[in-house]
Amino acid sequence: MMTLWDASGGQTVMVTGIDAGVDLSVSGRLREMGLDDGHHVFCLRRGPFEGTLVVAIADCVYSLEQKIAKKIQVKLL
Amino acid sequence: MKRIILVGKPNSGKSLLFNQLTGLRQKVANFPGVTVELKSGKFEQYQLVDFPGAYSMSSLTRDEEIAVEKINQALLDEDTALIICNLDATRLQSSLMFGMQMQAMAHRYGKPMVFALNMIDEMTRFGHQIDMDELSRDLGAPVFAISAKTLQGIAEFKTGVLALAEQASIAVNAAETAALPPLDYSEQVKQSRLLAAKYGMQSTVVLKNQNTIDSFLLSNISGGIAFLLVMFLLFQSIFTFATPLMDGVENLIGLTATFVTDLTGPGMLADFLNDAIFGGLGSFLVFVPQIMVLTLIIGMLEDSGYLARAALICHRPLSYFGLSGRSFIPYLSAHACAIPAIMAARTIESPRKRLITMLTIPLMSCSARLPVYALLVAVLIPDTTYFGGLINLQGTAFFGLYFFGILTALMVSLVLSGSKLNDDTKSDMPFILELPTYRLPHWKPLIHRVMSSAKQFVYRAGPIIFMVSLGIWVLGYFPTGSGGLQNSYLGIIGHWIEPLFTPLGLDWRYGVAILMSFLAREVFVGALGTLFGIDGADENIAGLAANIQADGLTFGAGMGILLFYVVALQCVATVATLKAETGSTKLITALVIGYGVLAYILAALCAQLL
Repeated sequence: MMTLWDASGGQTVMVTGIDAGVDLSVSGRLREMGLDDGHHVFCLRRGPFEGTLVVAIADCVYSLEQKIAKKIQVKLL
Repeated sequence: MKRIILVGKPNSGKSLLFNQLTGLRQKVANFPGVTVELKSGKFEQYQLVDFPGAYSMSSLTRDEEIAVEKINQALLDEDTALIICNLDATRLQSSLMFGMQMQAMAHRYGKPMVFALNMIDEMTRFGHQIDMDELSRDLGAPVFAISAKTLQGIAEFKTGVLALAEQASIAVNAAETAALPPLDYSEQVKQSRLLAAKYGMQSTVVLKNQNTIDSFLLSNISGGIAFLLVMFLLFQSIFTFATPLMDGVENLIGLTATFVTDLTGPGMLADFLNDAIFGGLGSFLVFVPQIMVLTLIIGMLEDSGYLARAALICHRPLSYFGLSGRSFIPYLSAHACAIPAIMAARTIESPRKRLITMLTIPLMSCSARLPVYALLVAVLIPDTTYFGGLINLQGTAFFGLYFFGILTALMVSLVLSGSKLNDDTKSDMPFILELPTYRLPHWKPLIHRVMSSAKQFVYRAGPIIFMVSLGIWVLGYFPTGSGGLQNSYLGIIGHWIEPLFTPLGLDWRYGVAILMSFLAREVFVGALGTLFGIDGADENIAGLAANIQADGLTFGAGMGILLFYVVALQCVATVATLKAETGSTKLITALVIGYGVLAYILAALCAQLL
């Protein structure tokens, strides 16, 4: 199963789910941010030292660490 | 007094709008979550309260928790007449996400609400237009198009807001509403997306410039080099750019001292003015320009949006020490003052990482240490420049001291992260950070911030330094007069405590100055100024460093004092803030003792080995 962390810079992916083990308040926030089922995410780049992933979701750019990006299931478009 | 509350998502121009409405200058910064305290000011007959920015009414971090808690309290308060929700016109979806949740809450509590569609100037520059009447109809609330930066639409907004606040709000039963179940915001989330799709700008247009700059500043090589360069220039500039200003202040104090003592003529009064006032208090005022330069540069980085990128760059390296990328912002702010930095640590998502950050913040070299560093660096390091004046050896030594503080903080963090300290791993939240748009800093709030940092520094430390200078002068002048410091009261006390400082290679005068500086670090320079002034070697403030050199302070002992000041926790206000934020007297007492012992050992090692 592909996760958001597996996406490379320049790729657009579609969110298919969030790991059930993620804390409810965190998954709620992720969904509010636009990391919701069926929504598109544009992967801009990996942050320096592979520490984070920089993604554009709707009108914002966010940086997510590996720990959480690995828990977001996506499908490559 | 009736109240109007101002809410909105972080980094949406809310704080600048607050400034424009109240005329007050508060901290306006381009980093998410910077407003961690409530700010209030007078807006006509109302009190306007600026609430900390929040992304959602369902809080994730401590600062958001505080924001939501305070908003709920204000909604229940019958004095709250109106809510202004600030929206970023260029980021409609993320702004409306919070705005519509807030609207649902306001509706539940029977409070009227208006929307301020801010940054309309930027939206127009992108060639985008919004039908305000239709947006207002869709939102079911008045919407005002404004720009807090260019003041576009502000006059109409003020008139409209005041008229709406005048209308009586619906009385609600606080007990009844407080007992209602929490709102489910899924409908608001859906609605905000629909409205953003209808009215918002295309994300590819909004994010184009930001992404172009980020491709350089966030790349592995150029981003890393840019980061190191920015940090190096920051610390170099504290010494290089501030020098002409410091020389100016020093000359002014020197001229005033000559003028005043010429008027009084020789005697005890002249001795007092020269040694206690111009020697003690004056030698501390010389360092105010350095604090202003430091605040200016940190403010520019903050307002430009670079600091959020710096946090991202630092996330991985900091995570090796049990910290978060978000720890970088409090760490950097701590180089100006530890107190706001400890408050800024509230934005850190994980309680454990937040605690470790707070406990290590005092190791960052705050502005109070600047006078100590500047004096001793001038004593110990030659004023040599390289590469046509670009690199200054004293500036590099400064950088080294700051770096040593950071390194010690990281080592302590590593030890603390391996301990059982706050073992609440369940609430260990992930690192999620919004990268704001790059913006040119607004000069007015920036200049005000610089001025108030100087004022705060002088007002906070000035009275203590005056009292200490006065006390030292009296103890050092009597009973023998201007002739014999050795036999004065101060000499007697100094010699009594001298054995404590002998392993550090220091005599009783440094011992007295170090002990006095446990009130506030800046006191060290003022105390030495008074002590060396009394010694009669040179009454010129500019000569303090030369006096210390001539007195024979060894390199090892001098470096020992510097390292002592890097590590020791000598600020009463910082200790009080730490206690309030952690809620543990035991932990903070242990921290003060721990840092004190470590500082003493380092200073002794320096004195013995160098």
